[in-house]
Amino acid sequence: MVIMQANKIYKTYGNKFNKQEVLKGIDLQVNKGEFVGIMGPSGSGKTTLLNVLSSIDRVSKGTIEIEGKEFTGMKEKQLAEFRKHHLGFIFQDYNLLDTLTVKENIMLPLSITGMSKKEAHQKFDQVSGELGIHELKDKYPAEISGGQKQRTSAARAFVHDPSIIFADEPTGALDSKSASDLLNKLAAMNSKRQATIVMVTHDAVAASYCSRVVFIRDGQIYTQLNKGDESRQSFFNDIISTQGVLGGVTQ
Amino acid sequence: MSLNYIILRNLKKNIKNYYLYVFALIFSVALYFSFVTLQFDPAMDEVGESMKGGAAIGASSVLLVAIVAIFLLYANTIFIKRRSKEIGLFQLIGLTKTRIFALLSAENLILYFGSLFIGIGAGFVMSRLILMILFKILEIDKLAKLRFSPEAFQRTVLVFAVVYVLIMIMNYTFIRAQSILSLFKTTSTTQGLVKKMPLWEIIMGLLGIGFIAAGYYVSSQLFSGKFTGMNGLMLAMIIILALVIAGTYLFYKGSVSFIFNVIRKRKKGYLSINEVLSLSSIMFRMKSNALLLTVITTVSALAIGLLSLSYISYYSVETSAKESSPHDFGFVMKDAGANFVQALDQKKIGYTVLEIPTIRVKLDLGEVLESSKFPDNDTSLEATVISDSSLEGKDVQPGEVMITGYTHALQSMLKLRDSGEVDFYTKDGVIKQQLSELSEKPVLPYYYGGGVIGVFVVDESVFQELTAHQDPNLQNNKPGSWNYRGIMLKDHSQVKEAYNIYLEQKPEFPSFAQYEYEINQRTNMGLIMFIVGFLGLTFLITSGCILYFKQMDESEEEKDGYTILRKLGFTQGDLLRGIQFKQLFNFGIPLVVGLCHSYFAVKSGWFFFGTEMLTPMFVVMAVYTVLYSIFGLLSVLYYKRVIRESL
Repeated sequence: MVIMQANKIYKTYGNKFNKQEVLKGIDLQVNKGEFVGIMGPSGSGKTTLLNVLSSIDRVSKGTIEIEGKEFTGMKEKQLAEFRKHHLGFIFQDYNLLDTLTVKENIMLPLSITGMSKKEAHQKFDQVSGELGIHELKDKYPAEISGGQKQRTSAARAFVHDPSIIFADEPTGALDSKSASDLLNKLAAMNSKRQATIVMVTHDAVAASYCSRVVFIRDGQIYTQLNKGDESRQSFFNDIISTQGVLGGVTQ
Repeated sequence: MSLNYIILRNLKKNIKNYYLYVFALIFSVALYFSFVTLQFDPAMDEVGESMKGGAAIGASSVLLVAIVAIFLLYANTIFIKRRSKEIGLFQLIGLTKTRIFALLSAENLILYFGSLFIGIGAGFVMSRLILMILFKILEIDKLAKLRFSPEAFQRTVLVFAVVYVLIMIMNYTFIRAQSILSLFKTTSTTQGLVKKMPLWEIIMGLLGIGFIAAGYYVSSQLFSGKFTGMNGLMLAMIIILALVIAGTYLFYKGSVSFIFNVIRKRKKGYLSINEVLSLSSIMFRMKSNALLLTVITTVSALAIGLLSLSYISYYSVETSAKESSPHDFGFVMKDAGANFVQALDQKKIGYTVLEIPTIRVKLDLGEVLESSKFPDNDTSLEATVISDSSLEGKDVQPGEVMITGYTHALQSMLKLRDSGEVDFYTKDGVIKQQLSELSEKPVLPYYYGGGVIGVFVVDESVFQELTAHQDPNLQNNKPGSWNYRGIMLKDHSQVKEAYNIYLEQKPEFPSFAQYEYEINQRTNMGLIMFIVGFLGLTFLITSGCILYFKQMDESEEEKDGYTILRKLGFTQGDLLRGIQFKQLFNFGIPLVVGLCHSYFAVKSGWFFFGTEMLTPMFVVMAVYTVLYSIFGLLSVLYYKRVIRESL
């Protein structure tokens, strides 16, 4: 089942005298329950792609549908409504609100949708248990580690069961232990909850947790790799060799 | 790119960002200039008859400078911190600290002296308006003329140049003390890490509320007789001040976050957008601004309080003039009024004369006193007694006594029951009377002890008896015969004319003119009100600006949060509603606390200033609230921009 469909999306910055085309006609399809990685050298347009796919930025041309809903033409208010129900976000720098406790941060998306309190608490207990941060619930972000912050951020993304979750370099600021912890959790959430995840990353190790990796170069899709039944190690080797062909300097 | 270019660019950018600072600067210059112009204006001599008016304004202009200087210096610390990154960047690209300082100084020089001259221009225009307001308050019929005063100009430039130098010294020390690294860190170190609420903070919160409540309680008891003597009163006042100020500080430091935390705990983690933006943010912010907020609250409470008191006395000028002299004119000597009456006849001014015989009697209030604070339980005192036949429409039964002139001030100093026995001591014995009525209405001038103990009214027969057995020693304490003669004009509009006659004749004391009290009171209180209002306005605007600047900083620090919230699907409208809610608290809490403080301050002693408390006080409070809310609105508008740009 197709959950996200992007058709011929273009994104240009600047005015007509000084135009810079960042995305040049990208087609992308994501199915339900997929864990898609987006890789590419610096300046290839990864982050721009993620921003337009996640409705934070607007495309210049082309259409994007999520769960059959076309949102490129929507007004700001409708977009907010759309994000509220369909999208979840995980950021490199966690983006937690410092003044709220872990629990309050995680329950934020539920309070927008106006879910009943009882149901909201159940959801919280479930997702925080799965991500192993339940006992941190009354702590403030300043009191917990980076890995814990990122898991809190992930919990916030999962808690309202969005159609699709966008992750922008989620492991970028973590040490390797915390990073693999988080990726294992993400992969587990992906298989257990059938959650659809689109993740931008630099890191081949992180990408090897995905079921599919899309390589971007100069604003176009260069190639895609499917994990299939391969082991993570051999998928990792495939990714490394593709990166070598891609020619961009990684990291 | 030359240095001059950078300066100009910075200037352009800064004016847009700091328009309120520039506005506040212009405004304070304008206020100061027009204030000083007033001081040097020859018209001021009429206000106080002597140089009193000018001197009062001169003294308060010093206060004005102090407020403005502190504000400008404080605002400067906020702004230089905001620019620390820029300063660090200049250093990184190789500018020396002296160069940077020169750059900042040049930029400030243009900004500062530009606003200074605009301010002087505005002040010049404003001074006429202000003089007109002053004349209106003092009821002086004179046209305010526009006059440029070189002395005022000189003084304004001098004062603000000194402030400029102070600001530069501050900037210099700031730049000197910072290394490149610390410059980049300034903004991040100022915001404390958010941690759990420790126990001592809860205790502090409870203490804060307790202190304020205790201070209010003592203030309500201030003149009830619990504190006697100058020392007692002084001590009580110091205790009130200390309790309330310390309480206010602890309130901001602990109580606010304590209360908000309790509310938050109840939500069990499920917060709405309004709560996210208001409760959680204020909880942590208010703590770090506790000292600033305490100062602002205390001074605004002081300003509102003083303004209320002076407005109360201005507002009740007529009634208090009636209290001090119930008739249009009054004479004590039997023949003193004769010339005056003749003159009135000549000018064909209609009048009626009331003859009121009085007598001094020693009496004992014993039973009537609610709380005795007389030394050695000796409750006897001396008072003036008149007969009920002197009062129209009043009939006091034999055996009864009525106390008149029992004013608010007297009521708070001397609590009386409304019935009981009053003993009159005569030369030959005691006459016992029952107290039948307490009346606020004055019947004789203050001279006869109204407001101090009141004037006692008895039945004609009792009055005769008292006169027959009077103690001559008591009668000789004051000069002249004890017969009072009050003159009421038939047509009150002729009072000015009559007063001119009174002035010409300059009758010997004791003689009274109600109109004289009225004018004096109006001039004095009007002038005080004007000056306090002026200072209050300056303070209001400067403190409002400071709160606004703080909010500017806060909004930028919280911008990341808005980005997250908008990505989560909150609309700009949702966030703005939350912000409005937050500002309601941010500006509302200090306002409400300040209003409460001033309410209790005014309530504790207003009766010494006038006869009506609520209306004038509420007028002052309403005006203050409206002006103050403008800054809240401005900050919401600023937030609106930040929210719009956050995604």
